Amino acid sequence: MNNSTKPRLEDLNVIVAGQGGDGSLTVVNILADVLRTSGLRVYTERDVLSRIKGGITAATLRAYNGERLCISSHIDLMVAFDQAAIPKYAFRLNAKSIVIYDSSNGELTAESKLPEGVRLIGVPLSRYAVKNFRRDIYKNSISFAVIGRLIGLDDGQMKIAFDKRFGRRGAQALKYNLDALNVGCTLADDAGLTIGEGLFEIVATDSKAHMLITGNEAVAFGFAVAGGRFFAGYPITPSTDVMEWLVKWLPKFGGVVKQAEDELSAINMAIGAAITGTRTMTATCGPGIALMQEGIGQLGMAEIPMVIVDAQRSGPSTGMPTKPEQSDINLLCYGGAGDFPRVVLAPGNPAECFHLTVTACNIAEKYQVPVFMCLDQGLSQNTATVDPIDLSSVVIDRGGRLDAEQVSKLEVYKRYLHTDSGASDFAPPGTPGGMGLVTGNEHDEFGLVSTDPINRNKMVAKRQHKMVSMKPELPLAINHGVETADIGFIGVGMCYGVILEAIDLLAQKGILAQYHQVRTLWPMLDDTPAFTKRCPNIFVVEYNATAQLAKLIIAHGGEEENINNILRYDGIPMQAQDLVNSVISKLNLKEDEVA
Amino acid sequence: MTKTFTPSRPIWCAGCGDFGVLQALVSALEELKIPPHERMVVAGIGCSGSLQNNLSCYGYHTLHGRVLPTVTGSKLANPELTVVGVGGDGDGYAIGGGHLVHAFKRNPGVTYIVMNNGTYGLTKGQASPTAPTGYQDNLEEDLDPVMLGLSIPGSTFLARAYSGQPAQLLDLTLAALKHTAEGGGMSYLEVLSPCVTYNDTYRDWRTSVYDVDAEEGYDPTNRAAAFTRMQELREEKRLPLGLIFKGQRHALESVALNKDFPAPALQDIGRPDISGVCNDALQSFIR
Repeated sequence: MNNSTKPRLEDLNVIVAGQGGDGSLTVVNILADVLRTSGLRVYTERDVLSRIKGGITAATLRAYNGERLCISSHIDLMVAFDQAAIPKYAFRLNAKSIVIYDSSNGELTAESKLPEGVRLIGVPLSRYAVKNFRRDIYKNSISFAVIGRLIGLDDGQMKIAFDKRFGRRGAQALKYNLDALNVGCTLADDAGLTIGEGLFEIVATDSKAHMLITGNEAVAFGFAVAGGRFFAGYPITPSTDVMEWLVKWLPKFGGVVKQAEDELSAINMAIGAAITGTRTMTATCGPGIALMQEGIGQLGMAEIPMVIVDAQRSGPSTGMPTKPEQSDINLLCYGGAGDFPRVVLAPGNPAECFHLTVTACNIAEKYQVPVFMCLDQGLSQNTATVDPIDLSSVVIDRGGRLDAEQVSKLEVYKRYLHTDSGASDFAPPGTPGGMGLVTGNEHDEFGLVSTDPINRNKMVAKRQHKMVSMKPELPLAINHGVETADIGFIGVGMCYGVILEAIDLLAQKGILAQYHQVRTLWPMLDDTPAFTKRCPNIFVVEYNATAQLAKLIIAHGGEEENINNILRYDGIPMQAQDLVNSVISKLNLKEDEVA
Repeated sequence: MTKTFTPSRPIWCAGCGDFGVLQALVSALEELKIPPHERMVVAGIGCSGSLQNNLSCYGYHTLHGRVLPTVTGSKLANPELTVVGVGGDGDGYAIGGGHLVHAFKRNPGVTYIVMNNGTYGLTKGQASPTAPTGYQDNLEEDLDPVMLGLSIPGSTFLARAYSGQPAQLLDLTLAALKHTAEGGGMSYLEVLSPCVTYNDTYRDWRTSVYDVDAEEGYDPTNRAAAFTRMQELREEKRLPLGLIFKGQRHALESVALNKDFPAPALQDIGRPDISGVCNDALQSFIR
């Protein structure tokens, strides 16, 4: 292998496509697992439809010798269970690409519009699956053998990966899938793909053990570690994995998960738990936030802590449920009746999903406000390798909680006592002597209903003042790249990985750029408008039609003249090259002149 | 002793049926020796939604219609509390009607008292879900929530009282609180509680109520027979009072919580167990 003249790959891009239900995602997940144990970092993305079976769907894998949290523009290897899937993704193939396709229904016809030079390998996947196992679905395990041979895995490595993946489904499932793998190896032999002789050599230099995790899982994990003990939710794509992870794990932390009958119930169950002094979270996406909106206002008015996850999807209304968007920014920052304090945090990668959820739990409880975790379908559901999280870095801050002894030393206990910070110390129900009233009506310091105008003004000021007093504790933006560069990007969520790669691609062309990664959207902190004043060519990258993030920054003093918009709302994730093209065309740059 | 809020005087009209409900609840909580700090009273929106202000307790005023999800969350988070939900017929049967179905089905350890007056008093007398056909030009049939409860297999305690008959009201309030305290799950008590201003039904109800507690042979443990009897009484234009159904089923919190831990609200979460379960979860992402 050392003297190999094969292409050395540090950046392997694989797409597995077919009909929904063909098992494309399974193939990619196993492959991701194998490649990460060989030292590459991986990132996977799914392009699925809102139906259980059918339609053309795909799963994409990027394996990179370093961190890349986005897919690439090109595809090295395509697996097509359905020949109809090939034209949809053919534009990303090039002369070095390889396509494995199911030839059960005949050889590929010329209509697939493949670029010159693409190597085609037809394998009768479905026919052998049905012939050997009477079930079409085994074609994905058969195909894995062919992929494995192509990228130079030996048969033992593949078997280990199958043990890991299918072992937990029982002996029978494992046996059939291993048999299917063997059938695939024989077919690979027939196609001239021999053991250990991959078509390219994968270069990997990092042998650390990484976590393989999605943003949704990281939020759920962060919540559990941060002491979250109650979760209520209603299933809705793409947020459901948060609840799924917690159903499995939260009881082991001593917590409880309740699936409610709708989002109205979910947020009010969560409120019921939160008012007992339990750290509480719910997760949904735009339509669910709309249904929860009255409850969110109640959190602000009645001063109840809660973390609310919004895994944004394409809207409005039901929109495109499985597709990404970032069009709830206005809803999160401005939504609801009346004025009330709130916080919106925007992580850019799974590690930040974990850490910012811990922050969210602390801020919510200390200041008794709703805190949103603003994610999007891409960040929520795509899988990435992450360095193991340092659990010892987690700090819990519960704010002013009173126990019976502390209450007994008070002359008077008022649930809504006016304080310097705006938040009042809280005696959880069950604490002797700490009886209080909690209400969404305007109230006095004891929680008794009041429409007295002087009291009203003081109470509005109390709640609003929290937004000022919490500011030093909120996550500032992180600046990536060259701080003096004249070209700057701003973007949140799934834009993170794309922007970082775009900066690298621009640097290869001699163009310097930087990335101001905003992490607190509400309240908007001063460092972001300041950035827009000092960087003359800013591109705010976002997945919506109305530039919600850019307008939020401008509304807080951002320099409109320096801001360009890159907007996308067709449901397709951006690629770094798209950003590079936008920058070059917008600024009329000639690459050799800028260097 | 630390001073906290002084329960306020009720804001209800003189003669309102809700006074009787408040009196019965306070008496029952005292008779069962439940101290104020262990009481969590959650009220809906409407005239009845101010009841928590009128007794010593931890009180919470929910959004309109959301009493049942709220008390379910509170009880799961801290089962040591005596959790009582109170509200009106608009709150519980109209805007919150969907939750009633699911609360019966879940059987959380809470007491739910609905003050039913057949009207929306606070918004000046529109028809509620329990208003009879013809009231304020109401074209719809009135809803019988007790029969609804009977039709849902998870329900375990269904009773109806009348605020004009305070002795039975107190007995049923006590029975409801005991059913829940003994681990029986949700106790549902509807109280016919006239609105003297917009729907003064005292005279009608005095003559149309019918006490199944006093009926020889009525078996509140027989769901099918209870349903049949409710239907017969409905056809006779009678309003059944008493313990209408009592069944046996585990309370939600007794099966939903991990018994190896204190209740979620009572755990010391200040220092995460980073070498134990937190690390197990972390390793699950590495494996």
